[in-house]
Amino acid sequence: MAHLLFDQSKKIWGCVAAFVLFILAATASVSLGQITIPFSTVVDAFVHFDPAITEHMLVRTTRLTRAIIAMVIGGALAVAGAYMQALTRNPLASPSIFGINAGAMFFIVLALSIFPAASMLVYMWVAFLGAAVAAVIVYFLGSLGRDGLSPVKMVLAGSAVAALFASFTQGTLVLNEENLESVLFWMGGSVSVRTMENVQPLLPIMGAAFILALCLARPVNVLISGDDVARGLGLRLGWVKFALAVVIVVLAGGSVAMGGTIAFIGLIVPHIARGLVGQDYRWIVPYCALMGASLLLCADVLARFIIMPQEMPIGVLTALMGTPFFIYIARRGFVKK
Amino acid sequence: MQQKPKLLLLLLMTMVLSIFTAACGSADNKVSNNSEAKPAEQTRKITHPLGTTEIVGTPKKVVTLFQGATDVAVALNVKPVGAVESWSQQPVYEYLRDSLKDVENLGVETQPNLELVSKLKPDLIIASISRHEKIYDQLSKIAPTVMIDPLYDFKNTLAVVGQALNKEAESKVLLDQWDKRVADLKTKLQTKLGSAWPLEATVLNFREDHARIYVTGFAGDILDELGFIRSKTLQAEADKGTVHMKLTSVESIPSMNAKVLFVFKFDDSGAEKVQKLYQEWTNHPLWKGLDAVKSNNVHLVDEVTWNVGGGIIAANLMLDDIYQRFGLEK
Amino acid sequence: MIVVMAASLALLVCMAGLTLGSTLLSPLEVIAELFGLGDGENAYIVMTLRLPRVLLSFLAGAALGIAGLILQSVIRNPLASPDIIGITNGAAVAATLYTALLMGKWGVAGLPFAAMLGAGTVSLLIYLLSWNKGVTPIRLVLIGIGMAAAAGAVTTMMTVLSPTMVASQAYIWMIGTVYAANYAEVGAMLVVIGVLVPLTLILTRPAHVQELGDDVATSLGDAVQRHRTLFIVISVALAGSAVAYAGTIGFVGLVAPHIARTLIGRSFYLLVPVAGLLGGFLVCAADVIGRTLFLPYDMPAGIFTAAIGAPFFIYLLYRNRNL
Repeated sequence: MAHLLFDQSKKIWGCVAAFVLFILAATASVSLGQITIPFSTVVDAFVHFDPAITEHMLVRTTRLTRAIIAMVIGGALAVAGAYMQALTRNPLASPSIFGINAGAMFFIVLALSIFPAASMLVYMWVAFLGAAVAAVIVYFLGSLGRDGLSPVKMVLAGSAVAALFASFTQGTLVLNEENLESVLFWMGGSVSVRTMENVQPLLPIMGAAFILALCLARPVNVLISGDDVARGLGLRLGWVKFALAVVIVVLAGGSVAMGGTIAFIGLIVPHIARGLVGQDYRWIVPYCALMGASLLLCADVLARFIIMPQEMPIGVLTALMGTPFFIYIARRGFVKK
Repeated sequence: MQQKPKLLLLLLMTMVLSIFTAACGSADNKVSNNSEAKPAEQTRKITHPLGTTEIVGTPKKVVTLFQGATDVAVALNVKPVGAVESWSQQPVYEYLRDSLKDVENLGVETQPNLELVSKLKPDLIIASISRHEKIYDQLSKIAPTVMIDPLYDFKNTLAVVGQALNKEAESKVLLDQWDKRVADLKTKLQTKLGSAWPLEATVLNFREDHARIYVTGFAGDILDELGFIRSKTLQAEADKGTVHMKLTSVESIPSMNAKVLFVFKFDDSGAEKVQKLYQEWTNHPLWKGLDAVKSNNVHLVDEVTWNVGGGIIAANLMLDDIYQRFGLEK
Repeated sequence: MIVVMAASLALLVCMAGLTLGSTLLSPLEVIAELFGLGDGENAYIVMTLRLPRVLLSFLAGAALGIAGLILQSVIRNPLASPDIIGITNGAAVAATLYTALLMGKWGVAGLPFAAMLGAGTVSLLIYLLSWNKGVTPIRLVLIGIGMAAAAGAVTTMMTVLSPTMVASQAYIWMIGTVYAANYAEVGAMLVVIGVLVPLTLILTRPAHVQELGDDVATSLGDAVQRHRTLFIVISVALAGSAVAYAGTIGFVGLVAPHIARTLIGRSFYLLVPVAGLLGGFLVCAADVIGRTLFLPYDMPAGIFTAAIGAPFFIYLLYRNRNL
């Protein structure tokens, strides 16, 4: 498949461009909103911080938190999606479609109803567990039948698992007489619900996952050329796949713990990345991280403006944006590698 | 081999059809106990959007299927035989507990348990159109049913229920009392606050992961009656028909701005989380910049009487609250 | 025979549905009421409340089960179902829209029609979008999944943006419930099933052939596309009407045919009634549980279909993992 940026230098420039885009998006996220804060003030807030000035406080607390959460989730979901697509050799793989987000969500809701006052760290681990369980079930379901694991079967299995966990989540909410609107909003996806102190414990772990993801890039390049080839080239298949699974679960689960269900980022961004730099995962991963972060940052800004002063759940926006994309890919069929 | 399954299917369908027909047949034969006419008592007809209900005499066993109706029934000195559960402080709100001892709990307001209702053999059912439209037929088969809308318009509820219970005089008395109190409070507020009146007010609610502005609704309408006004943005929302607005980010705090804030917290299982959110938001500089906060005019009020009670008793308790907070004599 | 067993199971659950509830009745009393011989004491409970619920839940479940069966045969994959490929989500969008905008004017009666319209429209969209010199099952499914996600997002958006009243009404409908079932609804479902199921059976021979693969089917002179389309239409109609009257009850369309297949094998003629009976059983049982286990609350059936169906499903999968 021909990709846009062919030689090394172009890829580097592309990366720089992606980084610039990312910075722009982050800046937009911090300055735009119900109160537009001019760029100079934003800079001031960091350089000459004055707690008495409302805008400074706003920048340092709310806006910064949102931006960081959006960045992390966007990048995490994109990278998770890229690796899912590599692992399953399925261009439609992504954490939301494969039910991994739904699994994490259900476990969180369940935990919420049993331990309402647990700390964020607990929720995070619960989310990891849920994501892992969902992944296992999908893998299992998708390999049933005579012809083993196939892309379509996995997508179907993923949807079935997503539907199942969604049902369970609904059931838990109703049985708990939980006031449905409280949780409904967060379930639609939101980067504004958490505070910095909430999120801080997760950041190191997500960071570690990102680093691991980068390290896995070269092995994955070998992996995607086929199991036999990879084994022949001396790759420890089992370990690589396991490490990939861990990365995916942590990135996806952590994203759900922070921001609820945000769909389609893991689907769209890897495709764009591959369109730009081809199949080399050493490039795909950083591109995904940067572009995923930018995408979600922009979506978040949009979410603030559409129904001001209320906010649109960001998961809704990404789903609406992602669906035409998804349909386009599905129509094109699967490109054999 | 292909014949048997088809035959079986046919058999099954015949079975189902016959049960169905039998059911229909016998259902028609049962007379609906709508018109248990006692001789020589007047019949009242109440017209509501779903039809006209005839009520004979004074109903003794009343079933109330929404919060406001329960409140109003108690205000008219009628203890319902069955009522739906309250939204918090289950099964009955504390302010009504003394009057509602041994009342049968009929389940959630949105899906009351019809079998329990029928077991009680009531002679009047008060329900809400927005909640119970679908079961109007089933309810009418049990007893004369009166449908009321909107849920939180307690004055309408009072009037209609008064009519239904044959207590129109009492309900009129209660309404007159209300009007007098409102006029009184309004005057006293005007006098006390002088040029600051009319006062801009916002009603706020904090929940587990978001906050709300109740633009209209129960509390908003009462405040309207008393002469409080809304900020420009909120009035625009009210004119559009918005009842409440969900705010998920502290950035929306400025839209809450008013000279006085009435805040109630969602009083339920997630109390700790609500408290956490409340503290987060009230510690934010944007909050501290609100007029009401700067002038120390933030009042924490009871969610039950200000929002979910929905009846005349709750409304009166809300008035009491306002009297007290502004340091006025009733 | 399996079918007889399934049928008796179904009858059993129906009887359970009629006897259980906040007032416990004996089977004799129930039978008496059914045939008009009762003393009127329990007439209301049995005839007006429980019987329509039992019938409606059963019929809706049967419709969903058969719809799922058809889809799984056409798509040649045991994991396809109306909920997954967006039919039920489409209905949900329409229903939420209706609740938010038109309920005030036209009342509850119009809701089923809105739901059916939604299901039909989304299905049409899916079909059109997957058309690329014909429709392959794979593409259909995938696009269906995409549409399901989009529809889900739209529904969430509307629920978040609309007033509380709308949100809670829409939400309960979406979970799936047969609360307040009445005979008009039962009648409508009966008509739907009465027309479509025999139609399905008549068209069965082509279905068998289709399972052998497109090439074989075409060479045998079968108008593959046409039959496939017709089958899908039937499936949508069945699922759409079930959802219209009972809300988006999840999981039945997925699990029931699967269980049926495990019990019976490949004979489509047998699969149809068994999938129907099992589906009906599932929803009816879920409804009975919902309204008896948590008295005085009346819980929506949709919560329990997943709870009952899932363990069953997983167990069956495990048992058949080497198949």
